[in-house]
Amino acid sequence: MENGSPSDLRDEELVALCQGGERRAFESLVLRYMKKAYQIAFDFTRDGEEAKDLSQEAFLRAFSQITRFDRRSSFYTWFYRILVNLCIDHHRHKSRIPWEHKNGGSQDHVEAETVADTSSTPDQEAIAGEVRRKLGTALGGLPKGQRTAFLLRNHHGLSVAEIAKVMHTTEGTVRVQLHRAVTTLRQSLAEFV
Amino acid sequence: MIQGKNFLRPACKEFEEDLVLYYYGECQDAESHRVEEHLKECASCERFLEDLRAFLPLTAKAKEHPQSFWDGYYKEMQKKLAAMDEKKSRWKALFSVFYPWGVPALGTAVVVIFALALTFGRGMWDLKNHSILDEPPPGIQAESIDFFETMDLLESIDSIESQDQMKSERTL
Repeated sequence: MENGSPSDLRDEELVALCQGGERRAFESLVLRYMKKAYQIAFDFTRDGEEAKDLSQEAFLRAFSQITRFDRRSSFYTWFYRILVNLCIDHHRHKSRIPWEHKNGGSQDHVEAETVADTSSTPDQEAIAGEVRRKLGTALGGLPKGQRTAFLLRNHHGLSVAEIAKVMHTTEGTVRVQLHRAVTTLRQSLAEFV
Repeated sequence: MIQGKNFLRPACKEFEEDLVLYYYGECQDAESHRVEEHLKECASCERFLEDLRAFLPLTAKAKEHPQSFWDGYYKEMQKKLAAMDEKKSRWKALFSVFYPWGVPALGTAVVVIFALALTFGRGMWDLKNHSILDEPPPGIQAESIDFFETMDLLESIDSIESQDQMKSERTL
């Protein structure tokens, strides 16, 4: 961004400027969180275009509601809540399509996931690929709450407390959902035992 | 690392949830200590934790988009925000035109509507059943009859009095 932009300010200061009608301040928040927002939306949709649309829609909603943001939570928690709710609604309205099918749908999807460890033998890579495919399918089939909790924790590093705020639930519930999600994902790998 | 057949080993049931939270760094100090103590003496839970470390990252990684993608994304957002801001300003300007007299006008409108609703409800605007040119209203007619009857009575009294006066003159 050019000189004089508010990109060096903290989130709270940018929010205060936005609430005073400063659009540029909100653009800085977009710049700061667009990658995370896109990634969250992508984790829910597994579709590049939908992820872009949903994440941008979340930013627009946040912008239109910024004067109502009471700053009791951090901006990103508040924004994540808008985004996650949008993603959940989107997921609810769409028929469930197994991720393995969607991932085969376009180049974007094929490129989307990479293996964490690339220093393995071809056999190990083949197993890892199969594990990844199984996990993707199992993750797509998780109940909404478990999936949301898992994605926010595992993919985006939100703490249990932050996830509880985003999901309007208790930390205890998030812990249980996280555990169940992991258990289900492990069970999807039963054939590897 | 995934080891084929050795992958996915069970943990002690009572530690399973704590191990998941421990993996994510979400255990309290006391819980962490308890888990760590247990891990020292339980090989299956130790392997379970290794498995979590091996398979959970496999669900997470996504390929980075090139910078050009993010530049395009950001420019698109700037345009959308500008359009939304402009729309908001237009509505604000429109609203500000009505603002000085908007509230009194609205109040007056509400009162007028209320009054009309009330009078319509009582049939006061029902012009079909009332004609000014027709026979006078019954109330006024009755009063007229009373009036004429009273006049007749007065005339009778006058005549009686005049008769009495004539009689007295005759007797004199």
